[in-house]
Amino acid sequence: MSAVIDVPARFDEWAFDQFAAGFAAAEGASRALVDAHACEWISPFGFVSLLAAGHALQERHGRPAILTVPADRDVAHFWARMGFFTHAKEIFELHGTVPRVRGGDSRVLLEVTPVRAAEDVHNVVQQIQERSAEILTSELGLDPKATMGFGMALSEACQNIVEHAGTGGWVAVHAYSWKKTLGKRVVVIAVADAGVGFRHTLEPTQGKRFGDRWGDGAALEAALLQNVSRFRDPGRGQGLAGIRRYLGRWQGKISIRSGTARIAILPPWDEGEDQVMKENLAHFPGAQVQLVIPAGAQETR
Amino acid sequence: MITQIDVRSVLARLGSDQRDLVTRPTGRAVRSSIEEELAVLAEAAGYAVVVLDFTDVRLMDLSCADEIVAKLLQAWVGPAAPGRVCFLVRGLDDHQIEDVEHVLQRQQLALVAESGGVLRLIGEVADPWRIAFERLAERGRAAAEELAADLAWPLDDVRSALDQLALRSLVLEESGQYLPPCAA
Repeated sequence: MSAVIDVPARFDEWAFDQFAAGFAAAEGASRALVDAHACEWISPFGFVSLLAAGHALQERHGRPAILTVPADRDVAHFWARMGFFTHAKEIFELHGTVPRVRGGDSRVLLEVTPVRAAEDVHNVVQQIQERSAEILTSELGLDPKATMGFGMALSEACQNIVEHAGTGGWVAVHAYSWKKTLGKRVVVIAVADAGVGFRHTLEPTQGKRFGDRWGDGAALEAALLQNVSRFRDPGRGQGLAGIRRYLGRWQGKISIRSGTARIAILPPWDEGEDQVMKENLAHFPGAQVQLVIPAGAQETR
Repeated sequence: MITQIDVRSVLARLGSDQRDLVTRPTGRAVRSSIEEELAVLAEAAGYAVVVLDFTDVRLMDLSCADEIVAKLLQAWVGPAAPGRVCFLVRGLDDHQIEDVEHVLQRQQLALVAESGGVLRLIGEVADPWRIAFERLAERGRAAAEELAADLAWPLDDVRSALDQLALRSLVLEESGQYLPPCAA
């Protein structure tokens, strides 16, 4: 029996739990149909999470899930310009009209890009530094110093896939208006995979330490707040700490979802709107990371 | 003897046309290449001051900071090191210095950084050692007695701080005088 997983009309990190619940509910089905026909807007987090879901469904069922292309022509064109379909056709059976587009969108900081190996991380960072540094500074008013750290944060976020996921993933970087709590433009880095997740990665070294508390939430806490790594080398486990420092300087926000939990470090502009830790969420494989940097942020020390 | 290593050139020698030091495999490759140079230096000279120049590097992530800077210190500073090397880093901006400092602190390592013409210690260093180093860097070269007078500290305390700094290759000792690495 097939199961239908609805893609929310506005698919961003806020709507992800709705999508993850549908994903989890489709567990026993022989095949899944991921229905995006009514999707009107999608964030980079939505794009990369959708691909992670497609990857997981393909592994779960041994064949690609069906993905219906957004019915709205403009929305479908946007998805095409973001490079989504280029990668989606490898893991989904696409139903609907996929628009043909020439090249990418020059205003996009980084189209949906696969991350499988260290070389991919190099290419992603180089692309951001050379193609997008000017957009980050001139259009978004980011301090030039912030764009250097931006590359570092992007690199470390992508390397988490290469080093820990046990499989490939995707990254996308866009700028858009964050009306909900900020009322201005933001730059968003989204990275997602459908790999083993933080709990599995850290369990051999951290499970006993946490005892009964051990779970997806504890694993996220260990990784993000305590800088713990699965490696015994004390030089490891510093990537997320570096990202936190960078975001702290520029009033940015990080959130990580893995398994059944989500952790976030909240800047002042988002306090009261979001929670630091959410547990007992619908299970979703791998790890999904979002970094948000507000436009025009002034450095804080 | 001061040897300057242009880290961007090392990266280029490895076949990369990029200016970014990112990912652990890249960091490991750069470190290996630098270590080949250090091995030659260690054989030729008893003591080498090595300036790691990052001026032409666009960005460095934490993975490369660990693989290059921290792991070079671990391998080349201390009693088990294959040669006596004193490292100095140059060309990092304030944020990069802060990142490297965190990487070093986590591993109880320390290093001399030159920033805006000023020498400073970054990493895990006790406050008295840092104070002694800063005074020494201002003077350029001094005997323990001179620093003790400058700082109004007991001579034994100054000697202890300088000896610890020398043990960690953060200062050099030459004929009873101490000097920061760039003054060698």
